[in-house]
Amino acid sequence: MPLSRIHARTTTCRFPVTRTLLCWVLACAVTVTTFVSSRAALANTPTIRLFPTTVVEDLRQTGNVARDMETGLQEVIGRLDQQQQLYLESKCRGAENDPGCQRLARQIGATYLEMLGIMEERLPDMEHTVNNTRLSLEKNLRNELGRKMTPWTLQETLVGSAANQSAPAATPMLRGRSGMRLSERFRQYHQLVATSGSRGDQSLAVLASDIYLDMQETSVLIERTRQEIARATLMEELNQSFGIITPEMIEVVGGVKSILFGEDELGAPVAGPPPAYAAPVYRSPLEQ
Amino acid sequence: MTRIKQMLIIGGLAYGSLLLGACASTKPACDSPQARDLARAIESVQASLSGGCAAHFDRYYDDLLTIAEGDPGPENKQAFSEFLVWSSDQGLLSKRQAQDYYNRYFNVKFMALRGDYNNCSHTCPNRQRVLVDMERELSDKERGLLRISLDNQGYYRADELYQEVELVLEATCSACAAAR
Repeated sequence: MPLSRIHARTTTCRFPVTRTLLCWVLACAVTVTTFVSSRAALANTPTIRLFPTTVVEDLRQTGNVARDMETGLQEVIGRLDQQQQLYLESKCRGAENDPGCQRLARQIGATYLEMLGIMEERLPDMEHTVNNTRLSLEKNLRNELGRKMTPWTLQETLVGSAANQSAPAATPMLRGRSGMRLSERFRQYHQLVATSGSRGDQSLAVLASDIYLDMQETSVLIERTRQEIARATLMEELNQSFGIITPEMIEVVGGVKSILFGEDELGAPVAGPPPAYAAPVYRSPLEQ
Repeated sequence: MTRIKQMLIIGGLAYGSLLLGACASTKPACDSPQARDLARAIESVQASLSGGCAAHFDRYYDDLLTIAEGDPGPENKQAFSEFLVWSSDQGLLSKRQAQDYYNRYFNVKFMALRGDYNNCSHTCPNRQRVLVDMERELSDKERGLLRISLDNQGYYRADELYQEVELVLEATCSACAAAR
């Protein structure tokens, strides 16, 4: 089995739950841009009805909520970064009992709590819009691909009419949950849809499936994140009494930075086909 | 007189057994083709199949695939197609069987996805089996498209199609299940 086929959706963001949510936040923000562009690109193609207006609206709303959350978090994270830098420059590592260092640690803890608070505040909206999107896509997938299609017609939709022609136009690399960052994945969706005006349905089916599965995971993650925030908030409130910076806090802040500012994040390369054989392809009368 | 009769009967029996022996010796050997050249191997197989070896069709087809692997090229697709059309015309295979033999090895599309019922009711309950069948077929396509026909693009499209079907079925079947 080729390695590229091994889906590793849970490795998309390798951070604790609170940070993982940020991945989804970014993904949703990009999704809106992606989708609005895709509508224009596909306006002239006969499409299966996977993305009616309601889904577009749900996606746009999810994107807006996500963008708000991202904007709010960016400022807090910037502050956390400065505070952490100050903490390190003050050589507080190993000098945790120093009163000045304890004060700095409490400030960092307070900012960390602020970050958790923003997430807590925005999460119900996120949960609502994500669930709406998920349910809309679910209904359309069930009707259009599940009930109206046989496995053979589904395959023909995916292959498209250009399947047996020689040297079809280059397509974007594999879509799907292949271990890359979500924002990168959605950028590829954008690329895919923006260049798929003549291909239409086959790309839409894959895109709809991918977004739906992502939304399913998002729903679960949001629920888990809300529980986690409650726990983390309680722990940090306790830590505030002692002025402690926990390793988890530092890790969380580092993770958030890497997601928002794109630092040291690995984008797993996606396998693509080698250069194709360019000779005219023989068409058998037996071919289906 | 009775002695003559007995001798005649014995003689007749001996003659009969000789005739039967002669029949047995004309039974076709159904050997595998010896030629390393695909066109000549196909001719040899066609002669064997016409000479009473039709029951060995699967083995002959596999022999031809093996020979073609030793001399790969895009033209092999046509050679196999023409051989299968001939087999169908000779009544050795039904048209559908001929299509299966060809498409399983030389087409991007998966015969494992043949079905007349909708995905929610038929494919989803058997999703794992369908995917296993597709995976097996993909290895046959690797042989037919990649190793015999040098059709890299076709094979990698089939591989990509397998992944897309896997993804879309996962989402679709999840959506179907949510309605229950």
